[in-house]
Amino acid sequence: MTDCGCDKAKAELEEFLHNELDAQQCQDIRDHMAHCDDCSAEHLVGLTLTTKVKEACQEKAPDELKQLIIGAIDRLDART
Amino acid sequence: MTTTTLERPPSTEVGSSAAQYTQSSSLDSRLMTDTTDELAARRALFQEQALPFMDQLYGAAMRMTKNPADAADLVQETFVKAFAAFGQFEQGTNLKAWLYRILTNTFINVYRKKQRDPYQGALDDLEDWQLGSAESATSSSSRSAEAEAIDRMPASAVKDALQSIPEDFRLAVYFADVEGFSYQEIADIMKTPVGTVMSRLHRGRRLLRELLADYARERGMTAQNSGPRAATTRSTT
Repeated sequence: MTDCGCDKAKAELEEFLHNELDAQQCQDIRDHMAHCDDCSAEHLVGLTLTTKVKEACQEKAPDELKQLIIGAIDRLDART
Repeated sequence: MTTTTLERPPSTEVGSSAAQYTQSSSLDSRLMTDTTDELAARRALFQEQALPFMDQLYGAAMRMTKNPADAADLVQETFVKAFAAFGQFEQGTNLKAWLYRILTNTFINVYRKKQRDPYQGALDDLEDWQLGSAESATSSSSRSAEAEAIDRMPASAVKDALQSIPEDFRLAVYFADVEGFSYQEIADIMKTPVGTVMSRLHRGRRLLRELLADYARERGMTAQNSGPRAATTRSTT
């Protein structure tokens, strides 16, 4: 058990969320969150924010754009 | 309470070739020396490997240019440049990061000049206190309520919020949260130190959170007056 405390956890939650910490650092934060509702809730807000942003940003390129690009590449190739 | 982190596929290194993609002028001379078979093989490989990223690149281009016509132009220009430089792409390195790098370069060189964002750049120099305090004095129960409110937010509100934060912050958030790039990969794409990436990401996410808290409050989506506040940031876009 290597609870890192609130200050350290809060400072590193974003890196934890983005998978930027090493295994030991991740474990320290997990150990801390297991006993700290405040940091767990803060992490949940961060995680939810990421999930929502990711969902909201899913786009599909228009079909005509695909055709345009394939055409442009063909023309580039045909110049030789 | 969940303690999961986000899934990210193991990242491969961004090849050094990502730094230098050639313009079409040098392409002409290079293509002359290649045989028709080699060209056909390269085109097939490009279509197979690069074109599947079109939807993702279009999504990023939409967040960059904020409109479908410019986004389509930007993506087309990106693929044409990428194809022209594809001979220098090092197979086995991270193609997605390479494509994003070309996309971002093209956007900054062509489109950002048109848009003119006088606040950009100066924003990185602001101290955290000038952007407002990150720490909210809210309890864990109101944080849970905040998470719930964000979870129920319509996609349009999230997109609007994202569109209204400063561009460099928005791109950092997009690269990390939507595309799952590592901080180092984002630093390579945005040509900025990792520390700057972390700062942009942190500030961008904080602004986003405030905007979504405002949205929820205005629509009575939360019972209490919670959510971090930083009134000083509202006028930056």
